[in-house]
Amino acid sequence: MEKTKIESKKISVFYGDKKALSGISLDIPEKRVTSLIGPSGCGKSTFLRCLNRMNDTIDICRIEGKILVDGEDIYDRKLDPVLLRARIGMVFQKPNPFPKSIFDNVAYGPKIHGLTNSKDELSELVESSLKKAGLFNEVKDRLNEPGTSLSGGQQQRLCIARAIAVSPEVILMDEPCSALDPIATAVIEELIDEISKNFTIVIVTHSMQQAARVSNQTAFFHMGNLIEVGKTDEVFSMPKEKKTQDYITGKIG
Amino acid sequence: MGFWSFLIIFCFISFYVYWYSSTKALKFNANIKNGSKLPSLPSYYGTYSFFWLILPIFLILVTWFFFKPFFLDILLIKKIPSDFLTTFEGNPDMLVDTIKATNPEKFFPGTNPVIIESAKYFQNLKIISDSYVYIGTLLLGLIFSTFSLRKISVAFRARQAVEKTNVNLLILCSTIAIITTIGIIFSLIFEALRFFEKVPIFDFLLGITWSPQTAIREDQVASEGLFGAIPIFTGTLLITLIAMAVAIPIGLLSAIYLSEYAKPKIRATIKPILEILAGVPTVVYGFFAAITVGPFLKEIALFFGFSIASESALAAGGVMGIMIIPFISSLSDDVMSAVPQSMRDGSYAVGATKSETIKQVVLPAALPGVVAAILLAVSRAIGETMIVVMAAGISANLTMNPFESVTTVTVQIVTLLVGDQEFDSAKTLAAFALGITLFFLTLFLNLIALKIVRKYREKYE
Amino acid sequence: MNNTEIIKKSLMKRHLAESRFKTYGILGIISATVFLIVILSTIFIEGKSAFKSTYIKLDVFFDPSIIDPDGTRNIDEIRFANYRKVIKNSLKNYFPEVTGKEEMKSLTELISSSEEENLMQAVLKNNDLIGANKKVWLKASSKIDIIHKNPEMKDLSESNRLISDKELEWFDKLTRNGDVKFSLNKIFFLKADSTEPEQAGILGSILGSFFTLVITLILSFPIAVAAGVFLEELAPKNRLTDIIEININNLAAVPSIIFGLLGLAIFLNVMHLPRSAPIVGGMVLALMTLPTIIIATRVSLKAVPPSIREAAVGLGATKFQSVIHHVLPLAIPGIATGTIIGMSRALGESAPLLLIGMVAFIVDIPGSFTDSATVLPVQIYLWKSTAARGFVELTAAGVIVLLTFLILMNALAIFVRNKFEKKW
Repeated sequence: MEKTKIESKKISVFYGDKKALSGISLDIPEKRVTSLIGPSGCGKSTFLRCLNRMNDTIDICRIEGKILVDGEDIYDRKLDPVLLRARIGMVFQKPNPFPKSIFDNVAYGPKIHGLTNSKDELSELVESSLKKAGLFNEVKDRLNEPGTSLSGGQQQRLCIARAIAVSPEVILMDEPCSALDPIATAVIEELIDEISKNFTIVIVTHSMQQAARVSNQTAFFHMGNLIEVGKTDEVFSMPKEKKTQDYITGKIG
Repeated sequence: MGFWSFLIIFCFISFYVYWYSSTKALKFNANIKNGSKLPSLPSYYGTYSFFWLILPIFLILVTWFFFKPFFLDILLIKKIPSDFLTTFEGNPDMLVDTIKATNPEKFFPGTNPVIIESAKYFQNLKIISDSYVYIGTLLLGLIFSTFSLRKISVAFRARQAVEKTNVNLLILCSTIAIITTIGIIFSLIFEALRFFEKVPIFDFLLGITWSPQTAIREDQVASEGLFGAIPIFTGTLLITLIAMAVAIPIGLLSAIYLSEYAKPKIRATIKPILEILAGVPTVVYGFFAAITVGPFLKEIALFFGFSIASESALAAGGVMGIMIIPFISSLSDDVMSAVPQSMRDGSYAVGATKSETIKQVVLPAALPGVVAAILLAVSRAIGETMIVVMAAGISANLTMNPFESVTTVTVQIVTLLVGDQEFDSAKTLAAFALGITLFFLTLFLNLIALKIVRKYREKYE
Repeated sequence: MNNTEIIKKSLMKRHLAESRFKTYGILGIISATVFLIVILSTIFIEGKSAFKSTYIKLDVFFDPSIIDPDGTRNIDEIRFANYRKVIKNSLKNYFPEVTGKEEMKSLTELISSSEEENLMQAVLKNNDLIGANKKVWLKASSKIDIIHKNPEMKDLSESNRLISDKELEWFDKLTRNGDVKFSLNKIFFLKADSTEPEQAGILGSILGSFFTLVITLILSFPIAVAAGVFLEELAPKNRLTDIIEININNLAAVPSIIFGLLGLAIFLNVMHLPRSAPIVGGMVLALMTLPTIIIATRVSLKAVPPSIREAAVGLGATKFQSVIHHVLPLAIPGIATGTIIGMSRALGESAPLLLIGMVAFIVDIPGSFTDSATVLPVQIYLWKSTAARGFVELTAAGVIVLLTFLILMNALAIFVRNKFEKKW
């Protein structure tokens, strides 16, 4: 049996008066890929952003329920979101490199957290992170060029390297390939497969094929509810719920 | 004919022309039993004729407005007996001014009868020439619009003609901006060149002594005056630096708070309050600097045992800085708000705090916009007039000491041009040389800033 | 040591830095706000006293031998009579102890010289006054007014006090007898500039501003709206439009004094238009205001959704018709708001007007667009540059009047925006 990394217990999210998620309970296994699927506006991204408290940045957002990471409640008052986010990294829908050089983009996290003691250590860390993100060979000669000079797929891998550099335990990915072309998408999917050996990964995707390709566990969201969760091949081949079947066969979505 | 009677007659004629022409078009349509009617609505034919009435009249009136004083002056000078013109003390321009200012009904006893006679002639001339022009333009307009009636036919598309005229009028209005710029450049260059005929340009740009006042009396030994503008440029620089030292930190910090920390409601309250600072007339700041800040600084200095000038650069520059705050805060706030949220999210997601995100991600991303805001603010500070005229000094001291009194380009322009002017003296023309320096300097700053802002917008919007 | 441990160690420091940084931001806002409050309150405190002034009650004998020696009631006779002597005589009656010529002179100076004309006007209006005795409230001179408003000055030594011990003594006597009062300074609201602070008023410059702004509005509004409509709705993308656009943006940032130089060189020297006249001032300010209104026009045209244009064009209207009939009317509130704001800026502008001679000392209230005039902010500048002490409070009072007009105009702009502007 796999170890559970994140445990969500009856999570409900409200935007003002609007309820975006109602009572989601979902366990995420360690060092596996969990994909969240469902039609747009079903709350899958909202759920993802609850896991590292990114919703804190939205004023009108209110959360009920509990999320435990390694048994520790992340919505506990004593817990520092800064620390949490260092442990749970995130990659976004649109590649969002900082207006800095490629090197500084990756070095950003380690620098602010003071993770390295010397320049050499830092460049070593940057190099290894870029290598893990499969980008090093493409950019090793132009580490000082701005991150925005890369292509879309490269930018997204840079963002992954940026997340890896802080050595998080979990990486959240919010539709990481939706802004990319099919070739770049394939590269990223391979990368996800590769890094899932070391990291717990939660990925939101609008593409069922992608979920089927990359994930071990799949959760299907609909209208703010978690409809079904299970091993990916089971959910796609023998869905238990009618709604899941309708979604997979294209009747809703 | 006075202006108001002209206006009333003009309105009547306009209505009549419009009505007559559209009715004619209507009748034209009514007479056609079968076959094609007029291609445009009758009202367009009315408008077309109306255009042929108003445009010539308007054109002539505007020309007359601008050339009338010039024209009347020439007629007046012709009328004055030439021997009197030469014997009159002072120059002919002054005589003309005296005549214009004389009221032939109520004059001081002892006024020269020739002047009174000329004044009568001048007053008469003013009224008569206006009447001639009014009657003439009305007739001309009528003739034009009568001819335009002939064009009412199936072959003539009045709507297209009217719309084309309309669009051309709009284009004409748009070009006023260009005309103004050309006007500024030409008037400044023309007068500045006359100045540089008298004073070599390098003496002006590189000289370190500025004392134009000596040039007033031509019999004086040093009647030339000294026009080395370096002390003025350094004075302007000093006051601008002081203003920026106040405005940049306060403006930037306010902008950071507004765009990154303040809740929307607080932002909506505070932003207008800051913008009041930009809406307060500069003459009010000048008053505040001269009456309150200057003496206050002097007292503080005395308390610490040293003395500073009551018109110190510090008072003028500091108050100018307060005025500049909203110029920096408003634009910086806008550019920082334009930085996409996704970039902040990226930073939060690796565990950065808000201030780390602002300092290392938002500010670098917004940097071009912030630089543009500062450039515009600098240009504003250099060109600001009333605060320095009221609170800074007149004497051109070559110093960078903020406690001393310095002068600026704008102060000198005002000092040189307010009061009696002779338009040939180097003293007066020097103001235009300073003016053109000021214009090109601010133009340079503005163009760079506008270019940066434009590029920045393209990047994020 | 694992990462979490390392991060935890520096976390306190980072959060401290965070709250420090936020405090800096708040300090920035607070200092800007404090500056605003200090400026406005200083001016209010300095200026509020100018709205009231000191009056002295005297028993005036309208002596026929001075006013109308011939008894013919000839208007010219009455007009040019020596009213100073009339005032002097009633002061003499009040202070019989004063005899010396010098003393007598300083005694007469208790009363503002403007009152001579007021007495003359009263007599002209009512001939029966001649030969009569009447108690009249006369305006005190500026220095008496200052002492009255700042009683603490009485304790200063004679040389620091503006008025001599003798004058103070006379004034105290008047106060004791209840013949001194403090009431509305009517002259301030009804007169134009003067060399004497107690006779100077703001009305002349208010009207000067009015005439100037009328010209500004008449010239800039139609031209700016036309230019805005063309650039936003009809202009093809070409070099000319580009140049126009850069020009407009640049003109908005050109120092105002440059427009003054333009006005001086072209309107006055080339075209010989009258100096100091609102018509020229209005033209200069119109050039300055154009960019503001053009930009406001474009912004509010842009805010009208394209569906409205498409609807009109879809029904067969030309592009021009769709703009004039449908888009422009919807943009009017926004344009009006921008215009009012542009006008309020023009009202506060003074630098360019200094150069075209609107800075002259003008005693008459202007009655037309070509009369010599000055405007409110320039009047403030003029009073500030005058050395006499009594002008300080007048200057501040002028600022209060100017700010009142600005507040009214901006309130009107906000009202128009909230009431009529449509949000899409």
